[in-house]
Amino acid sequence: MKKFFALVLAVAMALSVCSVALADYPEKNVNGIIQWGEGGGTDVLMRPLASLAEKDFGASIVCQNMTGGTGSIAVQYVSDQEADGYNLLMGAENAPLYQVLGISELTYADFDCVYLIGDETVGIVVPKDSPYNSFTDIVNAALAEPESVTLSTTGKGGLPWEVGSFITSVTGATFNQIPYDSDKSALTAVMGGECEFTVCKVMSGRQYAESGDIKFLCMFSKDEVAALPGVPSILAEYPAFEQYLPWGPFYGVFVKKGTDASIIEKLSAAFSAAGQDPSYQEVLANRSINFKGYTGAEAEQYITAYSANTIGALKTAGAID
Amino acid sequence: MEALKYMSAAFTNPLLFVLVAVGCFSGVYIGAIPGLSGTMAVSILVSFTFGWKTETALALMIGVFVGVVYGGSRSAILLNIPGAPAAVATALDGYPLAKKGKAGYAMGIATTQSIIGTAIGIAVLMFAAPLVAKIALKFKSVDYLMLAFMGLMMVGSLGGKSIASGIIGGCIGLFLGCVGIDPQTAVKRFTFDIPYLNSGVHFVVAMIGLFGASEAFVQISDRGAKPVKQEIDKIIPTFGESLKYIPLTLRSAVLGVVIGALPGAGGDIAALLAYDQAKRSVKNPAVPFGEGAVEGIVAPETANNAAIGGAFIPMLTLGIPGDAITAVLISALSIQGIQVGPKFIQQQPDMYWLIIAFLWIGAVFLCIFGLTGIKLFAKVVEIPKGILMPMILVLSVIGAFAIRNSLYDIFWMFGFGLIGYFLKKYDFPIAPVVLGSILITLFENNFRRGVLLAKGSVWKMFLSIFKSPISVLLFVAIVYLILSQTAAYKKLMAKLRKR
Repeated sequence: MKKFFALVLAVAMALSVCSVALADYPEKNVNGIIQWGEGGGTDVLMRPLASLAEKDFGASIVCQNMTGGTGSIAVQYVSDQEADGYNLLMGAENAPLYQVLGISELTYADFDCVYLIGDETVGIVVPKDSPYNSFTDIVNAALAEPESVTLSTTGKGGLPWEVGSFITSVTGATFNQIPYDSDKSALTAVMGGECEFTVCKVMSGRQYAESGDIKFLCMFSKDEVAALPGVPSILAEYPAFEQYLPWGPFYGVFVKKGTDASIIEKLSAAFSAAGQDPSYQEVLANRSINFKGYTGAEAEQYITAYSANTIGALKTAGAID
Repeated sequence: MEALKYMSAAFTNPLLFVLVAVGCFSGVYIGAIPGLSGTMAVSILVSFTFGWKTETALALMIGVFVGVVYGGSRSAILLNIPGAPAAVATALDGYPLAKKGKAGYAMGIATTQSIIGTAIGIAVLMFAAPLVAKIALKFKSVDYLMLAFMGLMMVGSLGGKSIASGIIGGCIGLFLGCVGIDPQTAVKRFTFDIPYLNSGVHFVVAMIGLFGASEAFVQISDRGAKPVKQEIDKIIPTFGESLKYIPLTLRSAVLGVVIGALPGAGGDIAALLAYDQAKRSVKNPAVPFGEGAVEGIVAPETANNAAIGGAFIPMLTLGIPGDAITAVLISALSIQGIQVGPKFIQQQPDMYWLIIAFLWIGAVFLCIFGLTGIKLFAKVVEIPKGILMPMILVLSVIGAFAIRNSLYDIFWMFGFGLIGYFLKKYDFPIAPVVLGSILITLFENNFRRGVLLAKGSVWKMFLSIFKSPISVLLFVAIVYLILSQTAAYKKLMAKLRKR
C-alpha cells in the first residue's frame, strides 16, 4: 500500500507541471521576457503592468528576466520564438542601437510595439563621500587625466554609455567605463564606491538620494525635476547639451513582427487597460515616469523618432560611425 | 517591544498562518522538481496575489521561499537529481546515503539542518542586518572574483579519485558556460550562427542531464541491482547528534548568511562553499566525504537555508535584492505600493517585522512538513527500477523544458545525460562539470570588470586586493587553501604537532 502511495506521489509530481492546451489565443500562459535584471528599472515597471494586464486577459503573463548583451539576448530570444504572441519582449530604449553598435542585427523594426508605457528623466550621480561636488568637477578631472574617472554602465548601448557619449561629444572628457548586469548593480557599484559615478534614472536613484547614500549632481533635462528639487539642469553648467534634450529612456512591450493583428490588438487592449489602472498610474507617478500609453501607429512613430534622434546624437558624439 | 507588537499581527491572524503553511508545503514540492524554481513560483504568485492585501500576498510568497530552498534536497538525496542548483552539494553525500538504505536519515538531517540554518539566517537579519548590509556593499568585483576562484578550487575536493579528472570536468563546465552571447560586449561565442545557442546553455539543464538522466541511463544499463531496502525507523536525528555538528553548523550558517547577502552570489554558491569548507575542516568524518558523510549534508543544507535570511538583508535595508527571489519580492511589494529601500525599516517597521514573523512561521512549518513526509518519500527509492527510471527520465524532460519552455533544452538535457553516462562509466566525477557551469559567469564577468577597473592591467588588479580588508581576508583564505594541500605544509604541521 505504501509503495502505491509513493507511486501516486511521484506521478502527481510529474503531472503537476503539465499544462493543458486548448481553445484560441491566449490558450496558454504567455511569457514576458524582461531584457534587464531582477529589481532593475525595466523589471519593476513590467512586473506590475503584467499583473494588471492579465486580469481580463484570459491567461497568466509569466515574467522572467533574461539579461546580457545590453538586453540583446532577450531580444534575440523573443525573435527566435514563433510569432504567435506567446513570447512578449518587455524592453527598454536599447534595441534601436543594436545594429549601429554591431551588437545584433535586430532592432525594434523587427518587432511590433504592443504598448509603449512612457519615458523618464535621468541624472548624474556620485557616492555620498565623492570628491566631486558638481558635474563640472567630474568633467575637469576626466579632462586632466583621460579615462581615469570610472563610470559604471550597463554595457555598450546602455543608458550610462549613451549619456557618456553625449558628455564626450560636448565636453571632450573620456571615462573608464565598467559594465554591470543591470542599472541596479551599476548603481550599487557607485554606492559601494567601486565606481566614481553613473547615470541613473530618477526612479532608481531617488530613494538613495533621499537617504543620503548618493548625490544627484545634475539632471539630464531642460528643467529641474519635481521629484528632486534643488538638483540643477545640466544646461546650467554646459548649455551645449541643449541640442540633445529632451532625451530619456522609454519602456515598451513588444511582439515579434509577423504576429497576427488580432493577437496584437488583444494584447494592446489588455496592456492599455493595465496602464490606465489607477494603481499603475500611482506606480508611474512614484517613479517619475512621463506616461505615454501609446499603441499601434502612435507607438511606432515615437520609437522611429527616438531612434533617429538618438542615433543622430551618437553620430555627432562620434560614438558610432 | 515595538517589534513584538508588529510581529504579533502575524501570529494572531489564522489566515496568515495558513497561507505561510500552504506556501511552505507547496514550496517543498516545487523545490523538489528540478527545473521548477522558486523564482518561477514566486513570480507567478506576484500575478496571482495581485488583488490581495499586502500581508496576505507576502505570507504566501515567503512561505514558498522557505519551502523551495529546502525542497531541492529531497530529490538530490532520493534520486541524485538536485531540485535546484543550491542542492547540488547535498546530492554528493545524500545520494550515497540513500544507496545505503539511509535516505530517511539523510532527509531527517537535511530537514533539521535547514531549520537551524533558516533560524540563524533570520536571527542575523533581525539583529545585525545593517552591519551585514554594509559588508555586502563593500564587496568589489575583485572580491567576487576571489569567491568564484575559491568555488572553482572545489574541483580538487570533488575530483573523486584523481585531481586531473576533476580539473578536466571543471574545464568542460567552464567551456559550456562560455557558449552564447557574451553579456558584456555582446560578442557571439561558440554559437556557430545557430540562433538557439545565442542564449547559451542553461546550467540547470546541464545539472538535470548530468545528474538525473545519466543516473537513469546507468541504472538501466546495469539491470541486475535490486533497489535498496530503506531503514525508516530512525529518521529524526537525536538532540545529541545535532549538538555534535554545532561547530560545523555555525560555520556553514555564517557562510550562508554572508554569501546570501551578497547581491552577486546566492544560496547555490553558499552551499557549494560550505560543503568544501566542511570537507576541509572535518578531519575524521565517520564515513569519508562523497560516500555518505553526514557532515556533507549538514554543511550545504545549513548554508543554503541561512542564505534566505541573508538575501533579505540587502533587500530590506537597501532595496537591493540579495538573490533572484528577493528581487521578485521587491517588485511584488512595489506593486502593493511599498517601496523597499534605505528608509524602509524606519518608515515601515510594521512591514519589516511582519516579514520576519513570516520567516519564523515558515521555519516552524518547514519542521512540520519536512519531518512528517519522510517515511513516504523514502519509499520512492524502493520503487522497482523499471518504474522509477522512466519516471526520472520523464521528470528530467519536464524539468528541462520548464526552465525556458524550450524544446532544445530537452535535447541538451539528453546530450548531457549521455555525457554524464560515459563520465560515470569511466569513473570521472560529474559534480565539477556542474560546478564549472555554475561559476563561470561569476568568475568571468568579475574578472573582466576587475581588469577594467585596474585600467587593463591584471597586475594592478592583483595589487588592488591589498587596498580593502575584505579582499585581503579572501586572499589569505585562498593562499591558505592552496598551501594547506601541499606536502611541505603537511610535513610542517606534523612536525609542529610532535613538538
